[in-house]
Amino acid sequence: MIEFLQHSITGLMTGSLYALVAAGIVLVYKSTHVVSLAHGQLVAFGALFFWFFLGGLGLPFWAGLIPAFVLTALLGLAIERVALRPLIGQPLLAAFLMTFALFIALEGVFVLYLKGETRTLPHFLPQGNLHVAGISVPINQLIGFCVALLLFGLLSLIFKHTKLGLGMRATAEDHRLAQSTGIVVKTIFSYIWILSGIVAAVAGIATANVMDIYYMLPYIGINGLIVAICGGLDSLAGALIVGLLLGVVENVGAAYLDPLVGGGIKDVAGYAVLLLVLLIRPYGLFGLVKIERI
Amino acid sequence: MLSINNIEVIYSNVILVLKGVSLTMGQGDIVALLGANGAGKTTALKAMSGLLRTELGEVTDGSIEFEGTRIDHRDPEEIVRMGVVQVMEGRPMFEQLTVEENIRVGAYSRNDTAGIRADMEEVYGYFPTLARMKDRVSGYLSGGERQMLVMGRGLMARPKLMLLDEPSLGLSPALVKEIFKIIQRINREQDTSILVVEQNAVIALSISDHAYVMENGRIVLDGPSAKLKENEDIKEFYLGLSQVGKRKSYKDVKHYRRRKRWLS
Repeated sequence: MIEFLQHSITGLMTGSLYALVAAGIVLVYKSTHVVSLAHGQLVAFGALFFWFFLGGLGLPFWAGLIPAFVLTALLGLAIERVALRPLIGQPLLAAFLMTFALFIALEGVFVLYLKGETRTLPHFLPQGNLHVAGISVPINQLIGFCVALLLFGLLSLIFKHTKLGLGMRATAEDHRLAQSTGIVVKTIFSYIWILSGIVAAVAGIATANVMDIYYMLPYIGINGLIVAICGGLDSLAGALIVGLLLGVVENVGAAYLDPLVGGGIKDVAGYAVLLLVLLIRPYGLFGLVKIERI
Repeated sequence: MLSINNIEVIYSNVILVLKGVSLTMGQGDIVALLGANGAGKTTALKAMSGLLRTELGEVTDGSIEFEGTRIDHRDPEEIVRMGVVQVMEGRPMFEQLTVEENIRVGAYSRNDTAGIRADMEEVYGYFPTLARMKDRVSGYLSGGERQMLVMGRGLMARPKLMLLDEPSLGLSPALVKEIFKIIQRINREQDTSILVVEQNAVIALSISDHAYVMENGRIVLDGPSAKLKENEDIKEFYLGLSQVGKRKSYKDVKHYRRRKRWLS
């Protein structure tokens, strides 16, 4: 039992990372209806910028955090301005494929910069383990977990209670109607990408906290995508819950099934969950149920 | 305050929808725009509110002026800020948002918190039903409630000119009367000019000061509403009356119809 709990808790920590990555995808999808494939790259660049200021320039934690946020937000804004804005009014597939192009392009830049090397962040969070009732949790991961929860809370507050959030929700439903009420839809898109960039930076830093920055880092975006799709693509709560769930399934599955099949469960678990969810609920676990008048 | 000079509208560079439409409105007027389906009424409204551009439509000739400035090539959000609000046909609303949130979205172009609060109370004054349903998700409202909601949302932008597209669509006669009474009140109390596109010619002519009739992308007839009500063609084709205000009987229908022509 203790063993099971231990695996679950470790899974929750990993899951919070997936949830953070998925949050950025959900934000963009919610108002623009574009599924961004390039979000993993944005996350990776967030981590890289943070490393650059912290490890590369040797700045203290806070001084490195803010420029990393700003740069990733600017990268998000640049994606929106340069790549996606010209495609407003075009079929959504065009925008979707554009994010695939960005996926490849940003991936290229990322690998080009790293040149196959690995960058390791200096420890910027307290190390050590917390022991509760026989279960041990790394403190730095626990902090990451709490930050993820806080961020989700903050995002849902923004959506629920601010004017910008109201504009974003309105835009999400109907672009043309939003325009007719005086909402500048293009500005909302810009804000969304900035917000998504900041969330990506948080996700990147939280990821780099537990693993090295190397050429595979952007592929956490795929896990984020799985989580976002399972959660229903436009539900922040769905992203959080499914993210945590996927982390637990991966970790527990790997612990108990790996010895039987010879390993690799971690890489398959996500897709198995995705397949199962899409079979049972094609619009995701927490997807928006369209109100239809009959 | 609004003048449309001989505009021509083309969709997707090929479909000519408006072929020279002119229309003028004064401050505080209620103007009705009548016409059969496909005559181009909605297109004319969209040309005024700028929404045409989101549908690959374009004003290719003529001009639209609002309070002296040309608005025919401006973005819809900019036109809203200038004071022209279109309440679209079919009562589209943000269905996942609550009634109150929908109304707040209407004031998105404004920044005066106190004014918005006061106007919200005013909207609830016009539509007490909405006040009762504040926190309801708007997707579940009935047709009449929806009409009130979209009009309330439009009012929140403090429009100088409101463009109403078929407010009576699918509503019961009693409700239509109520809605039009409120339209008149808004016009009187807020000094908002109103341009209303309607299929219900009887009620549209009874509340408006002036009316235009459109057909095939052209204005074919216009004049003071009181005078149009007396026009033989209007009576025959829009009010369902023949001769001296009598209701038309089926036995009088001839197997050939009187040639439709427009004489003003």
